[in-house]
This record gives sequence, structure tokens and C-alpha cells, in this order.
Amino acid sequence: MNFRLRPLTDAIRHGLGATGTGIGRLVGSTGRFLFASRRGLVAAGLLGLAGWAAVTHPPLRTVARGDIGVRTNQFTGSTAEFREGSVFVLPGFHELRTYPLRDQVYRLVQGRKADGDAPFQSVEGLSLGVDLSIRYALDPSRIAAMAGKLPDDIPGEVVQPAVQGVVYKAFTRYTVREIFSSKRAEIQQAVEAELRTKLAVDGILLRSVQMGQVDLPADYRQGMDKLLAEELASEKMRYTLELKEKRVKETELEAQADKVRRETAAAAAANEQVIAARAQEEAMKHVLPFKQKQIEQRQFEAEAEKVSRIKSAEASAQARKIEAAGEAESRQKLADAEAYRLDRVGKIASEQMARDGALITRHPLLIQKTVADKLSDKIQVIIAPPSTDGRFIAAGLIGGGGQAASSSAVADAGTEPVQEGE
Amino acid sequence: MMLVATLASMAIVTQDQAPLRAGPRDSAAQQAVLWQGDTLEIRGERMGYLQVWDHRRERAGYVLASQVRTTSLKPEEAPELLAVVRFLRDTPGAEALGIGYTAAYLKAVPAGAITAEPFDALGSMAERLARRASAQQGKAGQTVSAHLEVATHYGVTFKSYEQDGTLRLCYDGEAFRRVIAMAANAEVRARAALAVTRNDCIDPALPPLERQQLDAWRAEVLDRIDTAQFAQLSEPLKNRLRLRRAGVWAGVAFQQARKGQPAGASAERALAELAAVNKAELSDADAVDYNDAAIRVGASRWAVQAAAAPVASGPRLSVLTEAGLPGETCVLLTDASHGPKAPLARRCTYGMVWTASASARPDGRALALAVQPLEGWRELWVFRQDAGGWSVNVMPPAASAPELGYVEFAGWVPGGEQLLMAREARTEGRYKRSFEVAELATLNVQKQASAPGPLAAFGKWQDAAWKRQTVILR
Repeated sequence: MNFRLRPLTDAIRHGLGATGTGIGRLVGSTGRFLFASRRGLVAAGLLGLAGWAAVTHPPLRTVARGDIGVRTNQFTGSTAEFREGSVFVLPGFHELRTYPLRDQVYRLVQGRKADGDAPFQSVEGLSLGVDLSIRYALDPSRIAAMAGKLPDDIPGEVVQPAVQGVVYKAFTRYTVREIFSSKRAEIQQAVEAELRTKLAVDGILLRSVQMGQVDLPADYRQGMDKLLAEELASEKMRYTLELKEKRVKETELEAQADKVRRETAAAAAANEQVIAARAQEEAMKHVLPFKQKQIEQRQFEAEAEKVSRIKSAEASAQARKIEAAGEAESRQKLADAEAYRLDRVGKIASEQMARDGALITRHPLLIQKTVADKLSDKIQVIIAPPSTDGRFIAAGLIGGGGQAASSSAVADAGTEPVQEGE
Repeated sequence: MMLVATLASMAIVTQDQAPLRAGPRDSAAQQAVLWQGDTLEIRGERMGYLQVWDHRRERAGYVLASQVRTTSLKPEEAPELLAVVRFLRDTPGAEALGIGYTAAYLKAVPAGAITAEPFDALGSMAERLARRASAQQGKAGQTVSAHLEVATHYGVTFKSYEQDGTLRLCYDGEAFRRVIAMAANAEVRARAALAVTRNDCIDPALPPLERQQLDAWRAEVLDRIDTAQFAQLSEPLKNRLRLRRAGVWAGVAFQQARKGQPAGASAERALAELAAVNKAELSDADAVDYNDAAIRVGASRWAVQAAAAPVASGPRLSVLTEAGLPGETCVLLTDASHGPKAPLARRCTYGMVWTASASARPDGRALALAVQPLEGWRELWVFRQDAGGWSVNVMPPAASAPELGYVEFAGWVPGGEQLLMAREARTEGRYKRSFEVAELATLNVQKQASAPGPLAAFGKWQDAAWKRQTVILR
């Protein structure tokens, strides 16, 4: 509200209060009295003024979306709530204040930097900056009741002191390191819990406290970084070791699995081998009786062969015997025939000789002739001394007297012609 | 010659038993005996001799210049070295020299220009050397072992396994693995895949699990020759790949069935690969592989029908299985009146029981069942009823240590109390296939022949299902 207009509105308020319902009449008679009297001039001025006021300060105000409007009756002090839309606000009679119902964020700007205006203090007394954001909203159920009490600058006059009162105190309970790394959530929760009750008194609902970047003192930051790095390294080492341990375990398990697998495979292979060997052995076993059977069969066959051979040998021997007997008989017959023939031939020869003897006895020179005939084809010349006794020259050859002389003569005669003959 | 000594830095010995002498004279003391493929560092040249340093033996000396070939190991020489490698690649007896030249080529050629060809050559020569070493004995063995030493010096690794009482040397396949990893033409890749998946170069003492992993790897390597590349191969190579795949997939099927996994797809794959073999293009050497693969496929052929659930106990005989000790399967013989609680007969085995193979005699007095204890070894179990009750007889494929083989039920002879069987096995390196008529009472073989034709019983009574599925009548 423009405070410069207050006396004017007050005057109008009073005028209106005095006249009450006479306004109607005033309007009706305006035409008549406008130029008639001085009062009329005043009234016209007032009317113009009112028109001007209505134009510059329209009695309709708008409550934006997401806001709540609280209209206070300046006279009675009663309040009415309005949501989104237009609200009739009679200037000087009503006062409308709007409050946002949306969540709002308050950021503690001066505590953001360690070397800023109002850094936080840790338990060690070190300054540090924390980027804190507080999200809050006005409690719509209590807004009507609280409207009168709340200052215009809620963030600056309500939220900020409350936050500072809680946060600075809260951070002094922790070390920088805890604030920086390990206890963030805890701090956040503690701040949130304390702040919530504090703000609730003023009809403000705390949505959340967010703790952003922590700005450490430069020296501390370096040390912290180092420490963190070491911690990280040790952590890393721990994880590495854990990982390695797991790997070892994995390898062990794999090895075990592999071992089991190989054992199983080996057992299966061994089984296969055993089965194959048994099959082979079985096959071999079956061969032996078969061989035995074959041998037996061959034996039987050999026996049969033997018997048949003996039989045939016997038959052949008998046949031979028969043949030999026949042969002997035939030979006997032949011999008999020969003997008979010889006998016959001898007899005939004897008879012949007898006939020859008789002939020779009768003709002795026949001998000489015969000898000469016989020798004629072998001996051409016979030189022999003449027989002293006048006998046949070859008497020596055929026996008879004068054997010695004749034999030498014959020997000579025999050698000579042979030599000549040769 | 002086020029050679200054330009060249390395000499490769080309002759066996070349002496490394103490001086540049024939009369000088002999320091060491060099073998073809040995490399020497040239340090000088005197009177027709090269002064060299032998890094392998850490010894200096002189070697006759005519017994070595020199090279500077410069990139310009790479094509020439490769030409020599190409020449030596298929020259028997020159494997060590070829390996030496390959090493020189790999050193000379710029890294970016290396193709699969030298590795293919290296692998082929190393493999041939290993084969020679396995076969050679006596005086020739000395040369081979010297060549092996030379190859080993170049980082070529050989593994030795004892098989059937003989020592087998195998190349570890490093070069072929490189070939598979590199971009190469289909033929080279196929050869490499065949070389690293050889059946005879698997360690007999390999534990079952590793064996399974190896088989899975082999199957994968063989499948890296995709359809497009496969189509480019020559017919014999195609056959070899099919045979190898058939054998490997048969093994995989057995292992899968053993582990309780579905094995039908693998077994079918094995059968399909075997069926796809072009018999007109089989050489004598491949015929051996064909028999080998057929036995493997035949042994685990029931894996195709492994999924078929055993027939529930009806009026006829049937078999059920239950778990015994760990790894053991127990076979229960049941019929209408004897359920699993009180079976007619029970026998346990560590082998794989092919319940789908159970074949009962029409009169319900006998039942034949295939049981496979090993990857390439399938037995026939015959359940018989006689005066004393039910008994089980096991018929192995051959009367020798289990190697490769199977025996299968081929039919019942109704009136004659006989059983038809077919056996095929490889024992001590020999293949034997026989069709037999056995007496049911004693299971003694009464008649046998190498083909079903001469046996009248086979003509009349052979089982239709057996004839349809067996691989013995291939």
C-alpha cells in the first residue's frame, strides 16, 4: 500500500462512513447540484479523486498461481484466505498480503567460503565454508493465523536467523574431516531435525536441508587431500587385496572344478578303457573255445581221415597180395614153360650135336673147314708151323697132342695177326 | 668351380655313403659317411673338393664336388629347386634327397609364393619312406634307416607302432595337414586327407575316448572334400575316399551306439559310401582296402536299425536288454510265458548288443543275435534249447586274436536242424570269407564254401532279410 495515499483514503473512509447509504442519492442528484453549489464542486472533486484512486489502485487484486492471499480487514482485523484468482480489496478497508505456497530455497551465502564473511567453525576452530541450501515452504494451514505476525522479509528475518542459529552451532560439534567426508549425512540430519522445530514455530515447513560443497581452509585442504589420497590408496589396496583374495579363491574354485572335471573325465575315460578292455578280453575269450572246437573238429576229421586211410591201405595191401599171387603163378607158369623150352632145345641140340658128331667122325676135315670159316672174318693170315705129325694146324686150339708147341705157335699166330690187323 | 663356391652357400649330397674327408684328397681320413639329402654349408673349394661344415654332425671336412649339388638358396633358384622336387617326388629310393630338396626350396622361395605343392611332395615322400622302412629288412634296412635319420633331421617325424608282431613306421602327416589347411586342388587335398586318415597308422594302444575323438576328426577331414571337389577327382581316388569314409563312419556309428547316441545316420552313411564304390575301377591294392572297409561296415551294419525297439515279448522268442555292471549289457531271452523277471536265459556282455538283429527259429527252439564287442568285430550268439534247458553259444568270426571280422546269421534250415552262417574276417593280414552250414546241436560246421552258390542249403533256406542287408554278398 502506498502510504502517501493513506490520509486521502482515510478521508474517503470517513466520508463514506458518514454518508452511509446516501451515496445513491448523491449520485442521483449530482446532475442537479453539480454546478449549483460549492459543495457540489467538492463532491465532484472527491468523485474525480475517487475515480483516479480506483484507476490507479483498482479494488481488484490478483492472487497468483501457487500463492495464497490473506486479506485483512483493517477495521475488524478479521482475515480471509484466497487462492488463485481475483480478490476484491477495497483500498483503505482491506489489506491483502500474498505469500508463496511453493517451496523456496534459502542459501546461506556468507558461509559458503572458508575465507568468506562468516565461515563456519569446526570443533578444531578451523574456518570452513559450506554450501547450505534450505528448502522450506509456508504452512498453508497456519498461514491465516500467522499472517499478522510474519514479517515481510521471511527469508531474511525468519529463516536466516533460525538457520544460522542451528547451523553454526551444529558444525562446531564436528571436525573438519567429519564435516567434509564421513559425517555429512549425520550433520544434515541433525540440522534438519533442529531446524524443523524451530521453523515450525513460525509456521514454516522445512522440506530439506542440503549440504553442498564444503570449502576447506587451504592448508587443511592440502593435508586433507593427501590424507584422503592415502586413505583412498589404503582403501584401494584393501579392495585390491580383497579382489586378489577373491581371485585366488576363484582360481582355487576353478582349479577344484577343473580337478573334479578332469577326475570325472579321467574316471570316465578309465571306465571306457576298462569296458573296452573287458570287451576285448571277452571277444578273446570267445575265440578260444571256438578254436578249441575247431581243433576238436579237425581231430575228428583227422580220425576219420585216419580210418579211411587205414581202410584204403588195407584194401590196397589185399589187392597187392592178390596181384602178387597172380604174378607168382604167372611166373611159375612162365618158368615151367621156359624149362620145358630149355629141355626141348637141349634135346634138339643134343640130337643136332649127335648128328654133327657123326658127320665129323665121318668127315674129319669138316672141323678144319669150320674153324677156317669161323675165323675167316677176323684173321686173314695164319702163320703157324706145319704140324709135324701132319695133323690139323689148329689142333692146338681145339685140344689134342703137342699142346705146348701148338700153344706157343698159336700165341704167335694170335698176336701177329692182331698187330697186323691193327 | 671357384665361382660356384662363392655363389652357392649350401650343398645337398646326392649319393649314398659319400665320404666326408679330413682333407681334399682321396687318401685323407674319412670323418663321416654322408647320405643323400644331407645338407652341408659350403666354406670353400680346393682341388675339386668342397670344404664344408656339416651342421647335423657338427663336423667340418671336404667332400667331392661331384657328389653334391650346390644351391645359393636365393629366390631366383626356387623354380629350379621345385623342378627337382617334382622329379624326385615319385622316384622310389630318393625320398631323403627329395626331402632335402623340398627343404631347400621352402627356404629359397618367398613366403608369399608357397603353395600346397611342396608340402604334398614332402608328405608323399615321407610316407613312402616310412613304408619302405616298415618293409625293408637286412642290408637295405641300413640305407633306409640312414635316410630316415636324414628326414628326421629336417623335422619330418615318424611314429612307430607294433602290429601283428611287426613294427610299422608311419609318417605323422604334418605336411598333409598343411595341405588340407591350404588352398589346393581337389586331387592334392584328397590325397592329403587319405594320408592323414589311414587305418593302419592308428596307434593300437590309443585309449577309447581319444580313439573316438580321432575318428570324429578323421570323418571331418574326409568331409572337407566337398561335393564339387569330389566330382573333379579321378575314379580310383574317388573310390579310395569312399572306402576310407565307409570305414571311418562305420567306426563312428559303433562308438555312437555304444554311448547311447543315435547312430543310424552314421551307419547309413557308411553303407552308402560302400555302396557307391565303383568296382570296375578297383585296383588290386584298392581291393584290399575294399575288403577292409566292407568288414568294418559289415561289423556295425546293425547300427542302421539300432533305433528299432526290440519286439515286445509275444508268443515268439524275443530278447530284452538291461544294464548290468557299469558298461555291461545283459541279454534276456523271453517268450510268452517267461517275461523279463524270469527269462529263459540271461547272459551279460561288455559288447554292443544289436537287439534288432534277433532272429528266432520258427519253432521257437533257437534264436540268433548279433553282439559286437569291438569296433570291427561282431559275434553271433546262438540261444538253443536242448534237453538240459537253454544255453548260449558264442560264435566269433575267426579263431584268432580279435582284429577285423564278423559272423552273421544267414538262415535256419527247417528240417535238418541246421543253421546257415556267413563269416568274413581278416586274420594275420589274410582275408577269408566263408559261407557255412552248421549243425544246430553242436554248432559244428558241416559244410563250408567260399561262395553261397555251391551250398544247396543256402540256395533254399537263406534268410531274405540277411540277403537284403548283408555286405558279404557285395
